[in-house]
Amino acid sequence: MTERVLVGDVGRDLAAVAWDGTPLGPPQGWPQSLRTAVSILLSSRFPMWMAWGPDLTFFCNDAYRRDTLGRKYPWALGRPAGEVWAEIWDDIGPRIDGVLGTGEATWDQGLLLFLERSGYTEETYHTFSYSPLRDDAGAVVGMLCVVTEDTERVIGARRMATLRDLGSDPSAIRTVDEVLTFTSAQIGRNLRDLPFTLTYLVEDGVSRLASATGIDHGLEIAPPAGESVLVDLDGELPTGEWEQPPTQALVVPLLQQGGETFGFMVAGLNRFRALDDGYRGFVELVAGHVTTGIASARSYQAQQHRAEELAELDRAKTAFFSNISHEFRTPLTLIMGPVEDLRARLGAGDADLAVIHRNALRLGKLVNTLLDFSRIEAGRMQARYEPVDLAAATAELASVFRSAIERAGLTLAVDCPPLPEPVHLDRGMWEKVILNLLSNALKFTFAGHVRVTVRAEGGSAVVTIADTGIGVPPDEIPRLFERFHRIEHARSRSNEGSGIGLALVRELVELHGGTIIGDSVLGEGTTFHIRLPFGVDHLPADALVPAGASVTSDADPYVEEVSRWLPTVDTADTGSRPTVLIADDNADMRDYLTRLLESAGHLVQSVPDGLAALEAARRRRPDLIVSDVMMPQMDGLQLVAALRADPRTAGTPVLLLSARAGQEASIEGLEAGADDYLVKPFSSAELLARVRGNLKLARLRNHHARWRSALIDSLQEAFFVSDEDGAIIEMNSTFTDILGYGPEGLPYPPVHPWWPDRDADPEGHRLVEAALAMLLEHSRGSYTIPVRHRDGHRLWVAAAFNQVQDPDTGRRVIVGTFRDVTAEHYAVQRDSTLAALSVRLSQADSVDGALRGVLPVLKDLWRATGVYAVVYTDAGTPTMVATEPRTLPEDRYARLATLRHTPLLTPVADDLTGAGITLEHPDGTMVLWIDMAEKRPFTQQDQTLLALLAGHLGQGLHRIHQIDQQRETALALQRAILGPAQLPTGFEVRYAPATRPLKVGGDWYDTVTLPDNRIGIVVGDCVGHGLEAATVMGQVRSACRALLLQNMDPAATLTALDRFAAQLPGAMCTTVFCGVLDTETGELRYASAGHPPAIVTHRDGATDLLDQGRSRPLGVRGNGERPEASYRVPPRATLLLYTDGLVERRRQALTIGIDRVSALVQHGRSAPLEELATDVMESMAPPAGYDDDVALLLYRHPGPLDLEFPADATRLAPIRSTLRGWLDRSGVDTGTAQNVLVAAGEACANAIEHGHRQVRGLIRLSALVTAHDVRLVITDTGHWLPPRPAENPYRGRGLILIRALMNEVTITTGTTGTVVGMRARIPG
Amino acid sequence: MTTELTFATSERPDGVLVLAVAGEIDMSNAEAFSVALTETHREAGAGSFVVDLTRIGYLDSAGLAVLFRHVEQLELVAAPLLAPVLAIAGLDDITTIKG
Repeated sequence: MTERVLVGDVGRDLAAVAWDGTPLGPPQGWPQSLRTAVSILLSSRFPMWMAWGPDLTFFCNDAYRRDTLGRKYPWALGRPAGEVWAEIWDDIGPRIDGVLGTGEATWDQGLLLFLERSGYTEETYHTFSYSPLRDDAGAVVGMLCVVTEDTERVIGARRMATLRDLGSDPSAIRTVDEVLTFTSAQIGRNLRDLPFTLTYLVEDGVSRLASATGIDHGLEIAPPAGESVLVDLDGELPTGEWEQPPTQALVVPLLQQGGETFGFMVAGLNRFRALDDGYRGFVELVAGHVTTGIASARSYQAQQHRAEELAELDRAKTAFFSNISHEFRTPLTLIMGPVEDLRARLGAGDADLAVIHRNALRLGKLVNTLLDFSRIEAGRMQARYEPVDLAAATAELASVFRSAIERAGLTLAVDCPPLPEPVHLDRGMWEKVILNLLSNALKFTFAGHVRVTVRAEGGSAVVTIADTGIGVPPDEIPRLFERFHRIEHARSRSNEGSGIGLALVRELVELHGGTIIGDSVLGEGTTFHIRLPFGVDHLPADALVPAGASVTSDADPYVEEVSRWLPTVDTADTGSRPTVLIADDNADMRDYLTRLLESAGHLVQSVPDGLAALEAARRRRPDLIVSDVMMPQMDGLQLVAALRADPRTAGTPVLLLSARAGQEASIEGLEAGADDYLVKPFSSAELLARVRGNLKLARLRNHHARWRSALIDSLQEAFFVSDEDGAIIEMNSTFTDILGYGPEGLPYPPVHPWWPDRDADPEGHRLVEAALAMLLEHSRGSYTIPVRHRDGHRLWVAAAFNQVQDPDTGRRVIVGTFRDVTAEHYAVQRDSTLAALSVRLSQADSVDGALRGVLPVLKDLWRATGVYAVVYTDAGTPTMVATEPRTLPEDRYARLATLRHTPLLTPVADDLTGAGITLEHPDGTMVLWIDMAEKRPFTQQDQTLLALLAGHLGQGLHRIHQIDQQRETALALQRAILGPAQLPTGFEVRYAPATRPLKVGGDWYDTVTLPDNRIGIVVGDCVGHGLEAATVMGQVRSACRALLLQNMDPAATLTALDRFAAQLPGAMCTTVFCGVLDTETGELRYASAGHPPAIVTHRDGATDLLDQGRSRPLGVRGNGERPEASYRVPPRATLLLYTDGLVERRRQALTIGIDRVSALVQHGRSAPLEELATDVMESMAPPAGYDDDVALLLYRHPGPLDLEFPADATRLAPIRSTLRGWLDRSGVDTGTAQNVLVAAGEACANAIEHGHRQVRGLIRLSALVTAHDVRLVITDTGHWLPPRPAENPYRGRGLILIRALMNEVTITTGTTGTVVGMRARIPG
Repeated sequence: MTTELTFATSERPDGVLVLAVAGEIDMSNAEAFSVALTETHREAGAGSFVVDLTRIGYLDSAGLAVLFRHVEQLELVAAPLLAPVLAIAGLDDITTIKG
């Protein structure tokens, strides 16, 4: 008993408890309720303990022991619960008392309990329920506790919250103090894990308490040497959120990655938790956050400091340049001279040399301009004014720019008519004025023209230079000519320029006593007007020189410079080498950087401005972007901001290059997230080092992101992430490969550009709309939709998606993949349609039938409004087969007619109305037209499919046509070989071949008209069935017929056939019944070659089998002559000839079949022969139809009478005579015969007398007998006048006679005559 | 050519005229039959006369119509073959079937 209850490890230990010493006593004496409770407890895998009895004796199970009890095991077993849980009895005791007192269960979630189970007082959390346990009598005597320990979860969540708060956006923090204030605020909120902290900063070996949480004074603690150190604490210390202070603190160095130590943090530790890996890791992460914050603040400060220094340097640079510019002239000259020599020698094509030359020119120009300024400022400008044809000189200068302006896509208009008098100019200065202005115009003009005009106006010459450029904002116009003033953010071809060009222009114009004003409309253009006085009064007399005395300078520097603003071809490449994107508006700098970085093994792409850089970066994420700060369109700062705002490029490192230090912008750049900052000038080694460093750092930092990107990009399937609104926010390269839309266009909000057009393809559009709805509403799913590639082609994709939570933002996103199933889609469509088409074709038995079957398939396939097939034959009107009953509109019909002449099997799609194709039809050219009222693109795939199907259809039609023809031919042949086209009267035949669709088999019947009222009758059966047997049969039948015609002797005919059969393969063993019947007398001579006996059914129902005259089948050697027999067919008897297929059944004697058919004939002996034949065939047929050929021939003696004679009274007697003879042969008794004669005579007389004859008519009399009656029909076929009964008062008596004499009379009078039918029963 | 029909007139011992007809009577020769019958009737005056149809193999309504014109003074003799027709025509009361 005990053993069964106390199972498991705990059970064994329970068994070992000295139960005698407890109120419960030994287990053998425990009540059943206790046993049950203990048993449940021990068998549960869920942590539980229970208490029972007056002392609340403690029990627990394995799970509880493992999770909660700790060192108290096995001591606790069998002890009073209050003793086991003494340390928390204050908390749980009242709960247990409540349970025992009220019998109601308790529930506590995450209750903090301090347990003494691990050798110290431990902070633990438990979710548990106490429920009452009852004894056998139902009284509450104990409690069961089901418990889950939550300690890990509660503490983990608390720590995570602190780390998360520390990691929240610290972007506004710029100084170390701000960082520490922020981190302290966060750390101070977790006084359980961090009862107090102290942060010390070490500067110059001196520690300084920089911040503290939970404590208001510092502690004497030495800085740690590299690693975290655990120190013991004593004395009065704050307790945090606990009752007791920490006993230990962890001292963590604030160690920046890379080596620098900022200081250290002292973290007072929660004494109620052991310092395990988790706790230690947490404290170190907190310290890491503080470190990172300090590092970024210091870095920020350092950058700011550097930026300030750079600004100061810039200021100094201007002064420096001004001062030493002239010092440059000598070396520049020394450079220019040899360079020009070299260019002359090596040719102008050398790129390096060209760069040197161009930049030397530019430098020279800058130096000269600076010098000009200093000269002007120092009043040392030595102008020399000579009389100049201003119009010609200006036009000439303008023409220097013509090619550059035109290359930029602009037009240059020069309108400089000669002026009335010369203007005194310093040519060199004037050139600077005009070239500066033109250069300026080109720089800021992107479309339109630059116009240069010269006019004389109010005693002055006015030169106007106007452009259609970007214009200048009104508030900037007053400062246009200010030295070093630049209009920020203006879109321009280049950001090169110092901002001194216009200032110099004004100085120069003023030296000429002139004025310059600029006016501009933003967005429309800028115009500069220069007004120069004629004459010399305004000029210093000593500066005047005669014409031609001054030396002109060179326009080269200007032209060379502007040429470089114009676009050149990018070089872009991909590969595994690090890719660097360079953005710089200065082409030389671009080329220089490109060469430099390429030589260092990088793959380089260069673009001229920030916007292009952004696009390039989105398209192909580079490993690093090196960007100039100052650029047109989008500058470096905006570029950085844009890159950082886009999750795809947020991680791409940016190295900013700036020629300008000390600007606010550069600080903003760093704030916006640039990774590094390099000031021009820089050495190539410095740049390469920075590039390398940034690449390395970025690779480390972005390892995870890059791995993810690489993973996603390597997917064979297209991958996308969509936000809650359905906008695509991320994609991989396969996505771009399939749809043509790249990441540069992200995000793609719905309606996505790859959706089928709503108007052109409403159905496709609906499908995609439904798919999007599904995507947004369901947590997972898949769908197949049509989409449109960027290049316009249509494809089908199968997508699957899942909703997930973005771990960073917590927002719901949808992650999906899809693959291009266009080929599969069309393959399935093609296969199923082809299959349907083939089925329809195979079912059709005519060409038109095939078309009627196939067109609906095509209609379904394309969901067309109708499918039309028009066949144009060489002659005659076109014929049409269509799925729709209504006809085509006239214009559509005309369109089809034009298609008729397009090449065969070449689809012609017409987006508005449908698509057509021509194919060969057996009767001519067929135009197949798929009419599409609903707009739906008829894609290339559709066209391919149409061509395929049309080809298939054309072949099918031809095949059917051939089969049709063959069948027609075969049928004609079969009919020809089967039997006589016209049977003699009195015979009825039936034929059922076993093999369909053949109409013939090996069996046959035949009748041969012979002289003297004789008819040869033959029924035969060649071995086998099907076509082969039929061909044999045809020959045997023909031979038999010929032989009968020749000798009119059944036995002789069969004997001759024996010889024939011996020579005809397959004819052996043919069975034949051959007879010659005298239709007057009923005399039948017959012979049978192994054929089943003919059956004769007498009019009284008696049956004779014609089983005489029998011998072997044809070609089978036997003894002697073939016998022949004679039989007289009695009047009104029915003769049945047949083949064995009619009567022979498996596992059944032939006689049974013969008896059956005899009974049928007997039963039907009073029915007309035709009815009887049908009845026999139907009644004898097995349930599944005949499985062998069946031929059947019926004759009733005598054959019917059929007479036709002129409506003339004199013909009545001979007709009567003939009829009397026939009635006699029919065995009709005299009385009945007389009745028939009178009735027939009256009917004929009636026909003759029926009014006045207009044309001599004909009367037809036909009569037939069955076993029991005779039937007559008298028909007059002439045209008769209406009867005039008054003139023939006795005529009515004829009808009375007819009715009285006959058993049944019908008279039908129509417009063409009268038909009288009558029947008389034959008694006996 | 009309259907063959022969006539022979004789007088019975009791003086009653007898017209014996042989052949078949149909619409083609009914007129001839009528002429012969009218002649006999005229010869018979107001007395009865006999038409002997014993050798008539066929008689239809055309012949019956001729007989009806003289029905008040007429007696008929016929073979059984004609009995049904004569009965149907209602002439059986003046007919003697012989043979």
